[in-house]
Amino acid sequence: MAFIRTKWTPEEAEEWTREDIIIWVLSPISYVLISVGSALSIFLIPIGFLLLALGVIVTIVLFAIANPKLNVISGEYEKRQKEYLERLERITRWEE
Amino acid sequence: MIQFAALDWFWLVIFVLLMTFSGVFFYRLGKRSQADFFLAGRGLPWWLPASSVYATHTATDTPIWIGGVIYKYGLAGLWYAFFSAWCAISAFASARIFRRSLAYTQAEWQSLRFSGLGAELLRGWFAGWQVFMNMFILGWVGIAMGKVCHFLFGWPIWVGLVFFSSLVAIYVLTAGYWGVVVADFQQGVIAFFMIIITSIWGVMAAGGPEKITAKLNSIGQGWRLNPFHFTGTFTGDFPLAWFITMIVIAVLGGFGMGTSIDWYVEAQRIQSSKTVKDASYSIWWGTAFVLFRNSFWAAAIIAFFAMFPHLTNPAEYEMAWYVIGFKVLPVGMVGFFFASILAIHFSTISTHLNLGAMYFTRDIFQHYIKPDASERTLVWVGRITTLVLLLGSFFYGLMMEELTSWLIFALWIMAAGVWLPNILQVIWWRFNSWGYLTAWIANLGLSWLVVWVLPAFKVIPSLPDYVQFWILMFLGALIYIPVTLLTPPEDMDHLVKFYVMSRPYGWWKPVKREAIARGLIKEV
Repeated sequence: MAFIRTKWTPEEAEEWTREDIIIWVLSPISYVLISVGSALSIFLIPIGFLLLALGVIVTIVLFAIANPKLNVISGEYEKRQKEYLERLERITRWEE
Repeated sequence: MIQFAALDWFWLVIFVLLMTFSGVFFYRLGKRSQADFFLAGRGLPWWLPASSVYATHTATDTPIWIGGVIYKYGLAGLWYAFFSAWCAISAFASARIFRRSLAYTQAEWQSLRFSGLGAELLRGWFAGWQVFMNMFILGWVGIAMGKVCHFLFGWPIWVGLVFFSSLVAIYVLTAGYWGVVVADFQQGVIAFFMIIITSIWGVMAAGGPEKITAKLNSIGQGWRLNPFHFTGTFTGDFPLAWFITMIVIAVLGGFGMGTSIDWYVEAQRIQSSKTVKDASYSIWWGTAFVLFRNSFWAAAIIAFFAMFPHLTNPAEYEMAWYVIGFKVLPVGMVGFFFASILAIHFSTISTHLNLGAMYFTRDIFQHYIKPDASERTLVWVGRITTLVLLLGSFFYGLMMEELTSWLIFALWIMAAGVWLPNILQVIWWRFNSWGYLTAWIANLGLSWLVVWVLPAFKVIPSLPDYVQFWILMFLGALIYIPVTLLTPPEDMDHLVKFYVMSRPYGWWKPVKREAIARGLIKEV
């Protein structure tokens, strides 16, 4: 099995897995790199361009990992959303 | 005082008409139902709520405080604005859970996560507090616009507050959130490009990047280009300990809900997204643009410092970005620049008008006053509440000088002691409504003691804010954790329904086991 999974069954995608943890680590790093990299790049400081480029790469990797799993979660959830919305209305109207 | 040329007026009028009436066009969609008036029918692709996240978090006072911290601390001041990084985690964690709950508001979420009387008390508290908070923010941001117009045109302060907030109300009253999000998209685009253009213009006016760097080095201020320049580990007014605390609050806060005051705005964007994936992407990208924008602002402020390095009055250097825009941009562009200021103002006002109205309509009117209200009634209640919030914001705005310091204190105390409970409500099945309620009440008392009363009586020294945060978090936990464990857990049926629908992470094993035993989910 690959270290990073790209194929998910609906049941597997519902679980919080290693891929989620990797995303949680990469995502703040991406923000830091974009923030600092862009500010330094405006002043033409070489390390700024390097950090910005790294930020872009980390962002691409981040979404490459997140996208397949989120697609499956979204698709599966959409099937049940109507039923959940009906329950939400019942709770608000004190019927449940 | 600023003099506009004919071209400036042209840009200004065109943009005001565009921003105001594009929202009105969505009148027919907005009036269809409560879900349309407050969540655009839950059908938006990610880039629309993302642009709304960006536009809403760019307000007239944002460049003022970013100007202040960058002028004082150089690029390290970027970290002051980095608290929005809670979205880095939240986009792929709590946003997913919240979107799956389908709750209109954070108040409604309380009655899905918790049950019984405790849940209702929490829902009522959150709803009332958010109606008040949105009115307060409207007054705060509105009066900032009044001051900007006074500075630019010499108008009395109330004119800028009343005139522009009323213009915004036109499209919020008619089209609700449809109007907000469509207008936010154009306003976000206008503001984003104008911030980039103005900032680059400012850098060039200061001689360009090389000259700015050389100038800073020549006057011994080269450290301003180091984003990691701290005043010590625990010493000075910008220590490493503050930075670490802020990163912990922001990043780990993303696992919870409500750990940032911005959560309540983002929650509406999350629910208006058409899928779970769109919800995640909307707040991630919206925040990425916020951080990218901050970098451009920071560059402009550094350029301003290179031009005027000896300002000591915050009232002067905090206005740096506005000064660049109005003094450096050529004729014709000044009107465009003012239009972008209106864009950032409109987007913030429209969001809080609609958001405050949603808390009242959904959580107070429908849940507690008229549960069987028709969709038509709910839309009208939304409109009337929007109008009341608008009028209330005028009142708050004009008495803001006396209130601001108290309310900022109120915001701060709500952030510190309930930061951890806001996470626990998501990650720990055993955390119950009584523990959460206790956390809010305890925090109120403890904050007064630690921040004001004990230092005033010299029992403890006046502490830096990051130390207050850790103390309040620890002291609060000593109260709400025992209360949680001494009161019964939430009803298991209720917890199982919540778990199956939202699939939270953390410590939910007993609930998951029960859901599997009932055949509601499969064991993987």
